[in-house]
Amino acid sequence: MTAAAAPADSRRVALADLLGPAARRNAWSLGLLGFLILLLVFTKLIEPRYGVTGIQGLAISVLPLALAAVAQAIVVISGGIDLSIGSIMALINVVSAVLMQGQSEEFGVAVVLGVLVLGLVIGAVNGGLVVVTRIPDIVVTLAMSFVWAGCALLVLPTPGGGSAKWLMDLVSGSLGNDWIPKAAVVLITVVALIWIPVRRSWLGLSFYATGSNRLAAFRSGVSIGRTKLLAYALMGLFAALAGLSLTASTGIGEPVPGPYTLLSVAAIVLGGVSLAGGRGGVFGPIVAVMILQIIRTDMTFLNVDTNLATVVQGLILIGVVMIGSLVQIRRARA
Amino acid sequence: MKHSGIVRALATLTTVVVVVAACSSAATTQPASAAPSTAPSSASTAPSSASTAPSSASTAPSSAASAPAKMYTIGYSNGGGVGNGFREEQMCTARAQALVSGQVSQITVTSRNTDAAGQLQDIRDLIAKGVNAIVFNPNDPTALNPALAEAHAAGIVTVAVDSYVTDPNTYNLYNNQVQYAYLGAKWLFQQMGGTGTVYYMRGLAGNSADSDRDKGFKQALAQFPNIKVTPPAGVATGWDPATTTKLINNFIASGQYDSIQGIWTSGMDSMVVSAIQTAGKKQVPLVGADLGAFVTQLLNPTGYPGLKGVAVTNTAGVGGAGVSLALKLLNGQTVQGDPSASQPNTILLTPVAVDNLTAAGKAQLKSWQSVPGLNPTWPLGIQIANWTTYTPDQAIACKGPGQ
Repeated sequence: MTAAAAPADSRRVALADLLGPAARRNAWSLGLLGFLILLLVFTKLIEPRYGVTGIQGLAISVLPLALAAVAQAIVVISGGIDLSIGSIMALINVVSAVLMQGQSEEFGVAVVLGVLVLGLVIGAVNGGLVVVTRIPDIVVTLAMSFVWAGCALLVLPTPGGGSAKWLMDLVSGSLGNDWIPKAAVVLITVVALIWIPVRRSWLGLSFYATGSNRLAAFRSGVSIGRTKLLAYALMGLFAALAGLSLTASTGIGEPVPGPYTLLSVAAIVLGGVSLAGGRGGVFGPIVAVMILQIIRTDMTFLNVDTNLATVVQGLILIGVVMIGSLVQIRRARA
Repeated sequence: MKHSGIVRALATLTTVVVVVAACSSAATTQPASAAPSTAPSSASTAPSSASTAPSSASTAPSSAASAPAKMYTIGYSNGGGVGNGFREEQMCTARAQALVSGQVSQITVTSRNTDAAGQLQDIRDLIAKGVNAIVFNPNDPTALNPALAEAHAAGIVTVAVDSYVTDPNTYNLYNNQVQYAYLGAKWLFQQMGGTGTVYYMRGLAGNSADSDRDKGFKQALAQFPNIKVTPPAGVATGWDPATTTKLINNFIASGQYDSIQGIWTSGMDSMVVSAIQTAGKKQVPLVGADLGAFVTQLLNPTGYPGLKGVAVTNTAGVGGAGVSLALKLLNGQTVQGDPSASQPNTILLTPVAVDNLTAAGKAQLKSWQSVPGLNPTWPLGIQIANWTTYTPDQAIACKGPGQ
């Protein structure tokens, strides 16, 4: 399947030339989109029955990780990294499930708004600690991952709780046409409503500036501390949305964090975000999450041994990133 | 640009490819969107056509193989305990039963340590694959219900094994944990002559199997009014060998062991026997599970003099039994649920208690033990009467149809 990336790359170069600077800037994301389309065609070939149910399943399955990847991308773009995203998701998941259990639908709205604010605060705490203590991000957030995971277990020791009906309905099923899953609409709406205004404002610019060169950003008048704090707060908001999506898809709260932290890092790397900061966006990581998910689906369709499937998934991840880097190096020389 | 001509040609070519791919996927998606709606109807008609000859299929799997019976595909989802012998054995028995049934063309197993959201995704993948039945070990009683409803809508039979789900269309099949505790406790209280004190070593607090076992223990206790329990609510071992060893060592060191006449364990058995042996104390009658290390101790009177014990089966053959149940349902057979279970559509497997006091019991324990190549962490009771037809070797080989 790594070989399949080659045509996708040539197409990417070509599209970049056709569509001009905007495409050139998003060349990596467009290449990934091409790879995703190839994978979908491949999936259709190996399993002719793959259709509406498959697409709906894909949309609802990727929602938590896609939101987690957006959260991670924002922090990494501004020069940090957060290893507590999975724990924050678990905490938000259990808090919302405990508060919503047996309550009215209207109360659920208040709970959703409340936990989104809680997410902002949790993110700000992570960011504040990074800024104030000057301890490396990776250390602070790793430590905080234990704190938030412990809090989740204090709130709810064993899986339980409940969810408002409207929240569960929000992500399951489709909107009008069968081919438009509600989960995808939610994802696009949420990301567009929050990220695009931020990206276009001074705040988005300072995220990229701080991430690519702290000193230059500082000398240009960007407040590094405030920028990092806001980046982490925004991360907390998206992690809270990811946690809420867990509540919405399962209807319960689970205190033990899922594998989201490391998968979110994998997704942003595959999605073209530079771990050094300052480069990338949120569109690429979302496509990357879909690619990771569909590879797993293909493994199930091909009846590959599940342990081997994990190995193959990792190899594809590193293969795609390597091919992408090679193409970029060659373009830089040309 | 030097290569602009080539680039332009490539661009045109790739654009064409994209358009063709998009159109063909759009074109093929039209019939595909119709396919799922026709698939359930064909699947729902299949059981009725197969139900004309259910007896031949169920009574003799070999005859089913010779006659071209309807072949099914089965999906198996495991959402946790990767590397745990109990879970591994479940998956291997599922594969083995699929193989010997002669009615399964392919079994797809997805297994990973994940949360309920991850298992939802695995089940949805199996639905998209279009399997006829999904057998799964649920991570949660309610969280999987959305995907199970989707499976039902697609005409897929769903069977939960080892634990239950509340979805009304899913069948549950698991070991009767109330009975598990009752059988062992009753044997123990009888051995003690109906009088004395029992050290009550439970499993994991809050776990549904642990709560059920507590019920069974209390049922037996109600029949023996002169038996006392210490501590009254039991101690939680967490089914963790290290915790268990610490608990029993403290119990012996504090002198409390000298005033009890029996021990009930929730399967954390061999480490208790070893600790008593190491402390140089006399063994009291003890209840354990059908685990390799404990059964070896029970059959070793020179190594563990005076050890009287009973092994209660908690079979991991539920995976294989789940496949059998799914096939029965696919063939349109009616399956009688157990009214004592907390959920409708539930089949409870009855455990067996075997002690080392009679020759027959010893022979039974030996027969469990005598399976060569069995992983020491696997429970010994591999087969389940009336539900599984594979041999122990086939379970150990862990190969499904076509593998």
